[in-house]
Parts: sequence; structure tokens; C-alpha cells
Amino acid sequence: MENKEVIIEVKDLVKSFDDRKVLDGVNLKVHKGETLVIMGGSGCGKSTLLRHMTGAYKPDSGSTFIKGKDITKMKESEFDNIRKIFGMVFQYSALYDSMDVEENISLVLKEHTKLAKDIISIMVKMKLELVGLRGFEKFLPSQISGGMRRRVGLARAIAMDPEIVFYDEPTAGLDPIVAGVIDRLILDLSKKLHITSIVVTHDMRSAFTIADRIIMLYEGKIIAEGTPDEIKSGKDPRLVQFVEGNPDGPIQFFQNSGEYLEELTK
Amino acid sequence: MQIAERKSNDVTVFDVDGDIDINSSPDVRKTFEKPIGEKTAKLVINLSNVSYIDSSGLATLVELLKRARSYGGKIRLSNLAAKVKSLFEITKLEKLFDIYDTEEEAVSNFE
Repeated sequence: MENKEVIIEVKDLVKSFDDRKVLDGVNLKVHKGETLVIMGGSGCGKSTLLRHMTGAYKPDSGSTFIKGKDITKMKESEFDNIRKIFGMVFQYSALYDSMDVEENISLVLKEHTKLAKDIISIMVKMKLELVGLRGFEKFLPSQISGGMRRRVGLARAIAMDPEIVFYDEPTAGLDPIVAGVIDRLILDLSKKLHITSIVVTHDMRSAFTIADRIIMLYEGKIIAEGTPDEIKSGKDPRLVQFVEGNPDGPIQFFQNSGEYLEELTK
Repeated sequence: MQIAERKSNDVTVFDVDGDIDINSSPDVRKTFEKPIGEKTAKLVINLSNVSYIDSSGLATLVELLKRARSYGGKIRLSNLAAKVKSLFEITKLEKLFDIYDTEEEAVSNFE
């Protein structure tokens, strides 16, 4: 991977919310065309890291470079241009309920391009074919299943032919079969369309299926990095606990009771 | 992106030079407005100098084809680079268009 083109680079990223350090010096390179999975437990900072990569959050210190340009120091107009090369798939798809499938996908094209209506309508059909949903243009999000809504979210993310797609928990809340369909689509689109994918998930099955490379975040730091096979055979007890889903281990989920009693009587 | 037009017998050949993308697709559409409106138009679009067509470009070509057909005209594509050809395959459009390896074949085949 070392000689591959770096499309995103995160350098010494630090971010705190109030007194809690959520990202504690994260360094990361994403290579063009790869699918990188960022995994970790709830609150480990993985969504926060993703939001720094998309420019939604500004760090306390450190930088995020997309195609060599530091997005933390960009003017809004410059950032708008960079923004066009990436698509986002949000948790629970985040479609507009009042708009039908076609309107949800075409919104970004209507807002950001000068393309004619009939051209956009052909593009929407092409995108829906790619996610296996041709014929569903006029359905409202409430009239289709959760898995289909995710696929619409995917079609929307690739509406502008992005170079990079960010996925925030793309399979959360789906049954295993539907989740498997979404995994297959992510793989398919990434390889066919040569898209660089960054996926935040705590779904281990999904991570091992789609990833070229996995990083594990714990307490705002990257504690493991490697191919799915390397991660599976990793020896770090925190990694092992996470991969096995074991409630007991070095990752603590309960505060110690002494502090609790002190806190009650403070 | 630029488009030059020339005649080869009763066939009009268009040489497209540059990418057909979100920025240039509207121009492509405009350029073909007149020739496509002519009845029984025989058009060949030579894509040898096109290295990339995004989905707006593909949609624009589909729309041109649709319009040409409605007027009784024909559109053929020739000289697609490997990368461009694979885009037609991924989107299954290679079955929709008459695609020829060379301009010569595309021009000579018209009835």
C-alpha cells in the first residue's frame, strides 16, 4: 500500500468536547481506491473522526488533507469544490420523507449542476439500476423497506460520481441478510466505479466482508491497523475483546462503585 | 471539451475532444440540437479523444439517442478508449448504443 496514491491524510488530529478528549492524536492515510473500515465501540471517536474527514467538524489541532489540500484551513468556496468529489451515506439513510425516491437522489444534481431535467431523470434511473432499485422512482421513503431506503441513500451518495464515499454505520439496524446486500453493494460500487470508501461501523461481519484495511479506534487513538486477516489474528487484548464481543476484558463499561457512592453524597 | 463536425459522404462525423462531464454535458447537448433534429440523420460520434465520460455525459448521450430515434435518425459511437468502454459496460449501455471499434466501420455500415 505504501506506494499507492494517498487521497486523504489525517495528521495529529485532536478534538475535545468539554473536558473529554474524543480524538487524541490520530494519524491516518487513506489510499485511492481502497475501502477503509474504521471500527470501535460506541464513543470511541469513530464518528467524530469521520466528521473531521468530511469537514463537518473542525479539530482543536491537527489537519485533514483531501488530495493534498488541508480542508481545516480552507475558505468556504474552496471547500465547496472539494465537497463535490465526495458522497455521504448517513446512518439510517436520512432521506427526505416528503420527497419521493427520484427527488431524493436528484436534489444534489438540481442544486449543484446546470443539467436539464430530462438528463437528471436519466441519471437517476442509471443510479437506481446500480443499486438494484429501478422502477422505484415515485415511491416515498415511507413506502419502501429499511434496506431499500439504505440503497436509495447509496444511489444519492453516488449521484455526482464521487471519488470518495463516506459511510456512517451503513448496516446499523438491518437484519443480517439485508446488511449482507448492503455490504455487497458497497463492495460492488467501490470496485466497479473505482471509489475510495471510508466506512465507520461496529458491525464486525460487515467490516471483515468489505474492508481492504481496518483500523480500530479506542479512547481516541488508533490501537490496531491491518487487513481483515491481520485484525482477526491480532493479539491486543482490547482488539480481541471487541472482535469477540466479550463484555469482560480491558475495555471497561462500568464505572467503579466507590466513585458512584461519593457522587451521590457530594 | 470541443466538438468538430465533418462530412463523410452522407454521414456526419463529430470529433469530441475532452471529457464529457457535468461541466461539458450541457454543451454536448446544445451542439447536437440541430443535426439531431434533421430527419434521417446519420451521425457518428468519434470518441477517440475522450478519456472519461461521467454519468451526466452518459445520460446526455442516451437522451441524444432517444431524440434521434424519435426523428428517424441514427447515432453510432466509435473509437472508445478502454476506460470509456468499461463505463458503458458497467451501466449496461453498451447494448443500447451501436458501438464500433473504428470510425471507418461505423461510417461504412450505414444502410
